[in-house]
Amino acid sequence: MSSERAQPKQPRIPLHLSMDDPEPMYRQIESQLRDFILSGQLEPGTRLPSMRALAKDLLCSVITTRRAYEDLEGEGFIRTRQGMGTVVAEIPEETMAAYRREAVDGAMGEAVRAGRRAGLTEEELRDILEETLQREVANVHQGGTP
Amino acid sequence: MTGTAVLSLKDVKKSYGNFELGPVDLEIEAGYVVAVVGPNGGGKSTLMGMLMNLIQPDSGELKLFGGTYPDDEVAIKRRVGYLPERPVGHDEMSAESLGEFFSRFYPKWDHRLYEDLLKRARIEPAKRFGELSTGVQRCLAFALALATGSELLLLDEPTAGVDPFGRREILEDISRFMECGDKTVVFATHVMEEVRRIADYVLFLADGEFLGLFEKDTLLEEWRIFWVDREPEGDVPGVVDVEVGSPARIVCDSLQETGQALFAQDVRIVRSGVLDLEEVLSHLMRQKQGREQSVSGRRSRV
Repeated sequence: MSSERAQPKQPRIPLHLSMDDPEPMYRQIESQLRDFILSGQLEPGTRLPSMRALAKDLLCSVITTRRAYEDLEGEGFIRTRQGMGTVVAEIPEETMAAYRREAVDGAMGEAVRAGRRAGLTEEELRDILEETLQREVANVHQGGTP
Repeated sequence: MTGTAVLSLKDVKKSYGNFELGPVDLEIEAGYVVAVVGPNGGGKSTLMGMLMNLIQPDSGELKLFGGTYPDDEVAIKRRVGYLPERPVGHDEMSAESLGEFFSRFYPKWDHRLYEDLLKRARIEPAKRFGELSTGVQRCLAFALALATGSELLLLDEPTAGVDPFGRREILEDISRFMECGDKTVVFATHVMEEVRRIADYVLFLADGEFLGLFEKDTLLEEWRIFWVDREPEGDVPGVVDVEVGSPARIVCDSLQETGQALFAQDVRIVRSGVLDLEEVLSHLMRQKQGREQSVSGRRSRV
C-alpha cells in the first residue's frame, strides 16, 4: 500500500480458513481467535482488525467476520466500542481456567477413546496414564520440554 | 438488519429486440460489496445503466436510497459514484479538468483523494483522457467515481484492461472505501478472483435471466462435490447433478442435508471437493434452463 492514508498497523493475526474443514468459516475464525486469546497470545486491549479488513485478509465476506465478532463479543472475549474498533477483553481468571480445563478434558477423552479402539482395558489405560505422568514429570525436572 | 435498502428492484424488466432482462427482484442494504457476474450479453451493463437512469426499465419499480427516477434523479445521483463501461465525452478533457468538472456536481468531492489516486496511477493531471491507454483510462475513471465522496459506487468492470498492479490497487481502494461500514459497492466483473477477494454477495445474470443474489460464503460453504461408492436412490435433498460411474460424482448445494441423506442410505463418500464460483454459476445456469418457464423470478433480500 503506497497510500499515505493507510491505517495504523495492527498486529497481523495468523488466522487461516480451510474449506476442507466441515466447520463453517465464522466458526473457524471464532475458535482460532478464542484460542489465541485464551493462550494469552492476544492480550487484553489488543486491537483486532476491522471486520472489513479481516474479511479481505481471509478472502471471506464481511457477513462471516461480523458473525464471528458478534459471537465472540457475546461470549465476552472481545468488545467493540464506537469509534475505537474491536479489542480483546479482560477475561476473568475463572473463565480462563475453565476453558483450559475444558481443553485438557477434551484431550483426555480423546486418549481414552483411542485406547478403547485399540482394545485396552481400564486397568491398562490407568497404567498408561500413570507411566505418562511419571515420564512427563521427570522430563520437566530435567528441564526438557514438557 | 435494519434501515432502508440502498437499492431496491421489484419486478424490473427491460427488453430490446430479442434480448430480455429480468424480472429482477432484489434489495441491497448498506455495508456490502455486491459482485454482478455472468457471461457477456447477460445483462450486466443494462442493469447498471438502469441503476443510473441511462436506460429506463419497461416495467417494475426501481429505487435508490428510497427515491425513484426521474423525480429524485439529482438527489440520487449526488450520492452515487458511477464508473461506466465506456465513459462518454471524456476524451478531450484532461484529468485535471475532469476532476474540476466532477467536483462541481458532487458536494462531497474529495480532491485530496483524487490527487492521491492520480499520483498512484501515475497519471499526469494535464494529460487528456483520450491519450491514455485503456487500462490507465480505467484507473482514471475509477478515481473520478471514488473521489465523488459517494455512499454508493456503481462500477461497470472497473478493472477491465488494467494491469495486475493497478487491479490490486483498485481492490485495495474498494475495501478501504468500505471500511467504515455504511458504504455500498455494486460492481460488474468477469474476474472471479475479484469476486473471491472482495465481494460479500454475488448477483448472477445469464442471458438476461436473474439467477439470484447469494451470500458468497454460503455458496462456497454449501456447494460440494462428493465422489461416492454408489449412486444414491430416489430424491436426495440438495443434489444438483449426478454423474454416473465408479465412483459416481454428485454436486450438491447444501452440504449438511445431502451429506446426512447419503449417510442414511449408507452411501459412502470416497472424497469431497469444493466448487469454485464459475462452477456454481454454470450449474445455476443449467438448473434455470431445466426449470419450467412458469417460474417468475426469484426474490432475494439482503
